[in-house]
Amino acid sequence: MIGAVKPTIVENTMKNDVILQVQDLSIVYQTPRGDVMATTDVSFDLRKGETMALIGESGSGKTTLSLSFIRMLPNSARVTKGKILYSRDGVTRDILEMSDNEIRRFRWSDCAMVFQGAQNAFNPVLRVRQQFADTAAAHGKTDKAWIKQRTLELFKLVRLDPERVYEAYPHEMSGGMRQRSLLALGVLLDPQIVILDEPTTALDILTQRAIIDVLKEMQQRLNFSIIFISHDLALAAEMASRVATVYAGEIVEEGSVEDIFYRHRHPYTLGLIRSVPRLSRQQDELMSIPGEPPNLITPPSGCKFHPRCMFASDKCKVDPPPLVEYEPGHRAACWHTDKVAAARIAFAAQD
Amino acid sequence: MATHTPTAPALEAAPVPSFHLLDYLRRFYANYTVRTIFKALVTIWAVITFTFFLIRLMPGNPVEVYVDFLMNQQNMTYDEAYSRAASQFRFDPDASPVTQYVEYMGHLLQGDLGESITSSGTRVIDQIARFLPWTIFSVGLGLLISFTLGATLGTIMAYKRNTFIDHTLSLISSILSAVPNYIWGLMILIIFGVQLRWFNVGELRGTYSPTMTPGFTLEFLGDVLKHAMLPVLVYVTGSIGGWMLNMRNSTIGTLGEDYVGVARARGLTSSRILLAYVGRNASLPMFTLLAINIGFIIGGSVIIEELFVYKGIGSFLYWSISQRDYTSMQGVFLIITISVVVSNLMADLLYSRLDPRVRVSGEK
Amino acid sequence: MTATTYEPTRQRSPHFFDSLFASLGIFGLALRRNRAGMVGFIGLMIYAVWVLIGPYLVPFDDQVRLDQIASPPGSRLVMITRVEDVSRYTSLDDLNGQTVGVLDRSGGETMVEPYEDSGALEVETERFSSGRGVPALLDQLAEGDVDAVVLFSDAAKRYLTPSSSGENDYPGLVVSNAELGRPYILGTDTQGRDILSHIVHGGTTLITTALVAGLMSTLIAVVLGAMAALVGGMVDTIVTAIANLVLTIPSFPLLIVLAALIQLNNPLMLALLIALLSWPVLMRAIRSQVLSLRERDYVEAAFALDLGLRHIILREILPNMMSFVAINFIFAVTRAMYDQVGLIFLGMVPINDYTWGVMLYFGRSRGTLFSPDSASMVLSPVIAIALFQVSMVLFARSLEEMFDPRLRTAK
Repeated sequence: MIGAVKPTIVENTMKNDVILQVQDLSIVYQTPRGDVMATTDVSFDLRKGETMALIGESGSGKTTLSLSFIRMLPNSARVTKGKILYSRDGVTRDILEMSDNEIRRFRWSDCAMVFQGAQNAFNPVLRVRQQFADTAAAHGKTDKAWIKQRTLELFKLVRLDPERVYEAYPHEMSGGMRQRSLLALGVLLDPQIVILDEPTTALDILTQRAIIDVLKEMQQRLNFSIIFISHDLALAAEMASRVATVYAGEIVEEGSVEDIFYRHRHPYTLGLIRSVPRLSRQQDELMSIPGEPPNLITPPSGCKFHPRCMFASDKCKVDPPPLVEYEPGHRAACWHTDKVAAARIAFAAQD
Repeated sequence: MATHTPTAPALEAAPVPSFHLLDYLRRFYANYTVRTIFKALVTIWAVITFTFFLIRLMPGNPVEVYVDFLMNQQNMTYDEAYSRAASQFRFDPDASPVTQYVEYMGHLLQGDLGESITSSGTRVIDQIARFLPWTIFSVGLGLLISFTLGATLGTIMAYKRNTFIDHTLSLISSILSAVPNYIWGLMILIIFGVQLRWFNVGELRGTYSPTMTPGFTLEFLGDVLKHAMLPVLVYVTGSIGGWMLNMRNSTIGTLGEDYVGVARARGLTSSRILLAYVGRNASLPMFTLLAINIGFIIGGSVIIEELFVYKGIGSFLYWSISQRDYTSMQGVFLIITISVVVSNLMADLLYSRLDPRVRVSGEK
Repeated sequence: MTATTYEPTRQRSPHFFDSLFASLGIFGLALRRNRAGMVGFIGLMIYAVWVLIGPYLVPFDDQVRLDQIASPPGSRLVMITRVEDVSRYTSLDDLNGQTVGVLDRSGGETMVEPYEDSGALEVETERFSSGRGVPALLDQLAEGDVDAVVLFSDAAKRYLTPSSSGENDYPGLVVSNAELGRPYILGTDTQGRDILSHIVHGGTTLITTALVAGLMSTLIAVVLGAMAALVGGMVDTIVTAIANLVLTIPSFPLLIVLAALIQLNNPLMLALLIALLSWPVLMRAIRSQVLSLRERDYVEAAFALDLGLRHIILREILPNMMSFVAINFIFAVTRAMYDQVGLIFLGMVPINDYTWGVMLYFGRSRGTLFSPDSASMVLSPVIAIALFQVSMVLFARSLEEMFDPRLRTAK
């Protein structure tokens, strides 16, 4: 335990390679119609250099979760419970307790976020170069030569022609070029964590491919951790080392890529995976999850998934299932994991 | 809605070497500045042509009216009166309309707007040179103040959206923009000048006190500002509401843009985001409005200057109309219009300095 | 919720009246949520009543009474008697057969006339010829030459109230009846005429002309804008070029130049002139709106089905632009009001009607503007015009907020 002697430590329960530890995080949106429970008791660890994918339907709370890590939740949101512990160089801090200036400096230099639809991520009236310099300056790096060298280097890393992009305005670049520039901007300050929120949705399939390749290469070189948010399961499977399934603001299953895709134990994960079309499968065997995501102002009792679950029993309607570790690092919250496993095997046999 | 195609025209357009004159001209014209100036020149030409027809060819045009006046008042024959009018209006009575038009343009290019009818021997252009600077000064100062103040207040309203401050300022700006500026002028004059006697109406007439000797002294400058105070105040009151509301709506739109969120995530300081990201983008549509506003305020200056007895070009236009000094009237109207075109041109060029997208696509 | 989630850009092709009634219903609902809009709406209703019914309630006062020049709001006529007569003469009837002093600077008609209706009043009137008549009149009363004086309350107050030194110029005189005739709520103008009646009557022509000008301007803008966008090509180029030219020419100077050349006797002519100079802003907006609407699926479908330009404009495009056009119509009206009153104020338009603008013109040309006593004569029309414009704009702005989802207050 390196950090145990540091006085600034909040409460050191972190293993030495864990850089982000989310503990019982609950976030509520206050609306005129009532409080929306966007996330409830979410806990997970993110280790150095790993890629964690959050999968789930739209509105399941993935984006809320990722916004809370850089404290950019909308004004109507309140964190009602929990901690987000962040560790760098042996010092652990609760992100939620940081002062405004601390959080400003934390953003991007420790945790960068590449947003959904980054087509408009650049200020149209400033050159790309100026926006890189802006970012560096905001974090105390004003050495012009260093900024220029670093910027050009990163453009090369994301396979852009450094000389051409450097002086360009955002509107002079294509969507793919802008996305790559944003990735380069993301790692400008050498952050430990990069959050990617649907980073490729707006791009065509070839550009998507190129971006993913660039991302992987960058991660290898710079060794940052990635929180990857997507509803594209194939992409998640390719990028991630660990996956968490998010349903109605809760993590219902978490494990390694293999755990989630081949040994899933939660019916929602099963549903998600079975709803992806595969070349090897007949089109009509495609399964969709019945019903709609629950209303989070008055969520269902017991297991929130029970109204849509094919395995639901009376117990599910009353008792919320705890997140139980079935194999090392593989947790699931379901009373009927055995039934899910059996169904999974049966489906696999069909394919 | 400005949608931008994801193609990259500037980077992907391969330069093809060409020595054809037409190609060269086309590329020259594609330059935003060149094109904007060219358009302004065409507009000025159109305005001059329009004025020519208005003054010379329209039934009941000033030349005929003036000829009638000379015949009735001074017992001239038609021919005498006509040649007198021709010399003061600077046209050749025997020439065809086309030749007259060409000569008219020629005179204008030399800055010759003819001779004043009421005070013979005085060139109209000299009169204009005497009065125009005061209008440019007072209208310009008023616009500058109302634009900056309005944009600042509008930004505050957008940041404090749906709060008490926003609602109050919105209401105030609606009221300010609704009431005609000369009505504000009357209210200020009656309530603060006549009733409450906060200032002496008589003393503030004119562009500077008659006892002053013009020069670059602090005293003279202060006196000039004192006399411009009321017109400027009215220009500000009458136009600030529009700036506030437009800036508010524009800023609210900009605050929702992705790049503002990303800038926050990048850890930029809020002042940097406010100025370079929100403010700069939100103010862009305002420059388009600036063009329309300049024309409106210069137009309205006729009433405001007349109301406050401020000797600018507006009150000179009114004077020449009431004196039936048609040559002056023609010249002043032309100059007012040309100054609006030139101000618009300046607003457009300023806009292109602020928005790099315009320089390439030419779209606003 | 219905009001806040309302989307003016429906994807189906609505029937014109369907959408009109739907908008009206939603408009009523939404207005209740928008306080400024409500104030504007109520203001406009008041003006409508004022313009339509007001003239029947308040007779137009064109009777020149030079003794009541520029009296302040709330003035009345009062009767002044000697202290010992205070109980003898309390009403006009008591003056039968007596000598009554009445200030009459016109030299012609006398003050007594209005009271003849209330009873057969036979009085002998003394005539005075100048503004200095009041002290002279009061002197006569004090000396017993006349039995009572009928005066304007403001003048009476000026002479009968003890000054700061505690001295009263006429200790023997007293106001015996403070209420003769009806009060002048807004006071009187420089010719002693009731300002209130002018305010009530002076709006009709102005508002009508502004409405007609706004209507014409909107009509020109809609027709040209839709034509430019739908026909395109040369038509578009020419219309846009003309619009840009007209937009560049400062309209107010052109208006006064034209007013100097043409006699603008006819309000309709004036309205047309204003409309001809004010359509370009709306036309350009309509053009770009139609261009963007054209991209919508259902309009494209109508084009593909070759339903005809008239059908496409009336059934597909116009219903979707109703709110937009309505808002701009209101702004066009306020703009026309600006030009119109401005022209009248400068005296560039022949005076046919005694409008608010004419009151301002007289206020300026007769110097009343600078006289502290006659504030009401100028301030009344100023406020009438200002409130009209404010009502219009508040109403339009709330419409704008209701129909533009971007501006709508999201909660």
